[in-house]
Amino acid sequence: MHNRSLPPLLLLGIAAFASLAGLPPAQSAEPSPIRKSLARISNTAQEPNYKQPWLPGFTGGSSGTGWVVSKDRILTNAHVVSNARFLTLEKENDPKKYIAEVEHVAHDCDLAVLKVQDPTFFTGTIPLELGSIPDIETEVSVYGYPIGGDRLSVTRGVVSRIDFRPYAHSGLDSHLTIQIDAAINPGNSGGPVLQKGKVVGVAFQGFSGDVAQNVGYMIPTPVIRRFLEDIKDGTYDRYMDLSLSMFNTLNPAMRRGLGLPNDDRGVFVSSVASAGVCNGHVKPGDVILAIDSLPVASDGTVELEGERVQMAEVAERKFRGDSIRLALWRNRAQTEVTVPLSHAWPFTMQSNQFDVLPTYVLYGGLLFQPLSRNLLSSVQFQNPRLSYMFEAFVPRELYKDHPEVIVLSAILADPINTYLSEFKDGVLEEVDGTPVRTLADVASAFAKPADFHVLKFIGNGRPLVLERSVVDAARERIRTRYGVRQEQLLETAAR
Amino acid sequence: MRPFLLLPALCLASISLSAPQAAAAALERAPAAAPSAKATASSAQATALAQASAPAANDLQASQKNIVRVSVTSQSYDFSRPWSKRAPATRRAIGAVLPGGRVLVTAECVANANYIELENPDGNHKEPATIECVDYEANLALLKPDSAAFLEGQPGVGFEGTRIGDSLSVLQLEANGQVQSSSGKVTTAEVTRYPIDDSSFLVCRLSVPLQMRDSMLSLPVLKDGKLAGLMLRYDSQSSLLDFIPSIVIEHFLKDAKNTPYEGFPRMGCSFSLTRDPQLRRYLGLNGNNGGVLISQILRGGPAEKAGLLKGDVLLEIEGNPIDSDGNYKDADYGRVSLGHLVSTKHFEGQKVKVKVWREGKSLTLEVPVARRKPQQYLSEPYIIDRAPQYFVLGGLVLQELSRQYLKEFGADWSRKGPMELVQMDRIQSELPEDGIKRAVVLTRVLPSDVTIGYEDLRNLLVTAINGMPLTCLADVPKAMAKATDGLHRIEFKGDPCLIFLDAKAAEANGQALQRAYGLPALSRLE
Repeated sequence: MHNRSLPPLLLLGIAAFASLAGLPPAQSAEPSPIRKSLARISNTAQEPNYKQPWLPGFTGGSSGTGWVVSKDRILTNAHVVSNARFLTLEKENDPKKYIAEVEHVAHDCDLAVLKVQDPTFFTGTIPLELGSIPDIETEVSVYGYPIGGDRLSVTRGVVSRIDFRPYAHSGLDSHLTIQIDAAINPGNSGGPVLQKGKVVGVAFQGFSGDVAQNVGYMIPTPVIRRFLEDIKDGTYDRYMDLSLSMFNTLNPAMRRGLGLPNDDRGVFVSSVASAGVCNGHVKPGDVILAIDSLPVASDGTVELEGERVQMAEVAERKFRGDSIRLALWRNRAQTEVTVPLSHAWPFTMQSNQFDVLPTYVLYGGLLFQPLSRNLLSSVQFQNPRLSYMFEAFVPRELYKDHPEVIVLSAILADPINTYLSEFKDGVLEEVDGTPVRTLADVASAFAKPADFHVLKFIGNGRPLVLERSVVDAARERIRTRYGVRQEQLLETAAR
Repeated sequence: MRPFLLLPALCLASISLSAPQAAAAALERAPAAAPSAKATASSAQATALAQASAPAANDLQASQKNIVRVSVTSQSYDFSRPWSKRAPATRRAIGAVLPGGRVLVTAECVANANYIELENPDGNHKEPATIECVDYEANLALLKPDSAAFLEGQPGVGFEGTRIGDSLSVLQLEANGQVQSSSGKVTTAEVTRYPIDDSSFLVCRLSVPLQMRDSMLSLPVLKDGKLAGLMLRYDSQSSLLDFIPSIVIEHFLKDAKNTPYEGFPRMGCSFSLTRDPQLRRYLGLNGNNGGVLISQILRGGPAEKAGLLKGDVLLEIEGNPIDSDGNYKDADYGRVSLGHLVSTKHFEGQKVKVKVWREGKSLTLEVPVARRKPQQYLSEPYIIDRAPQYFVLGGLVLQELSRQYLKEFGADWSRKGPMELVQMDRIQSELPEDGIKRAVVLTRVLPSDVTIGYEDLRNLLVTAINGMPLTCLADVPKAMAKATDGLHRIEFKGDPCLIFLDAKAAEANGQALQRAYGLPALSRLE
């Protein structure tokens, strides 16, 4: 389920280390089995540099919490270990630093599993057991290493609310979330929330104090279990999404127009994304009456385990390769389709990306990059067409013509491009008469011999003309002047 | 994200004031403020005397007779509630008296006027006036007092052209009727934007310190006692005053003698600069060093009629060579954009001779220049003095897309406004020809039992009703007649793609809606 509007959520990793000197070493109180299973995670991360993608990026430190989830694995948040270059774990009452690495990471639900190089880390640790969804108003305890001290911290609160909410880490996904009122702070990220000795969630995000007080969120166990189940085959296949847009059938005239009986059932399918799993199975204009035999109400909800939840929750619990049965109302008759959940949503430009290198082509001092949330958050663009293309990418299916939206994101000033500033922030449509669909198209167009390369930008009647001989003559000069180590990167190889 | 929370005070904001000054300018003169106003007035007089040079003194004498105060009470429509107007607001300006008993002010001070009142400088005589002619693009308006006797003894000013370096004076009025003249030098002249988006004409810039007064809209600018222009905007931080030069005013006045008023014509094409040597070599423009590349031709516009093509290089207009920056050499203003030559030196329907370079040959074409009227846009660039159209269909509020509607989302409308509508407005010239005159938009829903489930719909493009594609709002009643099985079938571009409305219930609901939401009428289609 994709969500486009986000509240200002705060992720709970500590970005910079705060140290307080002069505190006496704490007396270890009665050793609880839980504290033996916790780890403080220190991450030395490198954020890619989208303004100068040929540079290695910015290095910084952050820390969070992890816990032993199985015999020899640690569970934490994806955002605690994102873009990691070097990860270390520390245990309570153990001076050693253990080197860890990410085994599986799920950015769409903000979870990760870590391996530890030295097996002695797990000596004496007890894997924590997963519980179920706690009841509202019941008490929970949060364990972790938040700001304010170096040692383990425990806070306590009650379950405030259980809801489908956005996950800030990817910026796009929403899943089941549990809100608690225990104090959770930067550094708590990845730490377990316990009730009666069992893990009922992983603390992961909250609001900063000036937005809301005592609002912390944890990832509930259905999401954790789904992640652990998904990676059992060795790869994480991401969440399955129906990629449909739906509208309620509450209005009696709407129901009559669609020929539906007056039984408060069914949700109207307004559009079917052509790149989604339902394409070819569901059509716009269909009404979904049931999903996996669960009746769908006219507002798009189903009853699942005693709770009314969005229909999307049914797909949320599935895995790649599973299928979903939909009872449809089509042409005033009931029909049934089985939708194979063959692939996750293929386009990721609308969500935050991690552990990838920014792709680019630099030619004649002109930097071409595919439009993405990452690019938009690091470069200030003036052209409103870019924000339209970003927002409309899925709803208007811009991906059909532009699987990648190629932006002229920067111009490294040089005599050969001094008259080209009007093209900055423009969207490349065509090079030498060939439509540009991906960054690779740009690279291959420039690789072909030509006297002039003629570039067309969307909405600009003037061609951008680059004379091959002039560009070739300037190439070394631009490389040296701007310290460009590499003129293009086409594969966003995971590092 | 509701549009109706943001209420810009003026539909045309042009004067850039710093915040406290803006507040002061927006207030009407209150009695309590009078003493302090007097204090600043006398100190201002002192400065003015110190600055006054010989020509300024001339201006003072001549102008005494030829300026009037103008008070305009205006009321603009609220485009997010198209059936209602905003609270009235009063603007004050100084108008220039013209021969023939007319008063010239900028158009933005009379925009959406309900009542216009003139007042002689002494303040002992007031007279209602009406608009005789107005051009919101050129930002000029001609006012006619109800009684011709009001301007007796005020013969009116003549016009004088301006050159860079000229010393000009700007006239203001003290509360006591004293004329306040401040002088400065003309620094630049260039074709740049006027208050209405996308309209550009010649603007001259004067460097002059001015005291802020409540009549800072439209001030006469004089040269040797003659009218050199009208103030367009003033930036108090840099003390720079932009004014509409007399050449633009004279075009307006000459045109105003004809009915109907036609306005400033255009060629109907856009151009790009050709300074880039690589572009010039590609275009084969090696022989000379001027010309601009025609980058877009307006569909059905003058350039298209004349046979101009995208990709042509425009070399000359009426024998004036065009340089690679799109400028020609004007006898009075030096290098200025060709827009001035086309718009201000020609009238509607005149044929303008242009020389273009196409496929290695030059050819001469005649462009029958014409103004593109706001009504000819898919999304009207401005709607002033006209009530917005709307149609309430059982609680669904339907309106035509216009820039004026989008501006209800605030100054930042192009970022904060509804994405699909903003994009449509911005790229309207790129859209394919499909017979659509106006985009019909479901702007909001007035909830009632007929619209259950539809309460949250807003800013959706309506493509068809009952199978009939909509080309403008006036099509809606015709389409409604085609209801089948007692249902209206309404199709949108976007989500949802389709809804149904009970035709009978929607009809019957009209009165209840009018009562509940205080609507004077369920539609306005003229």
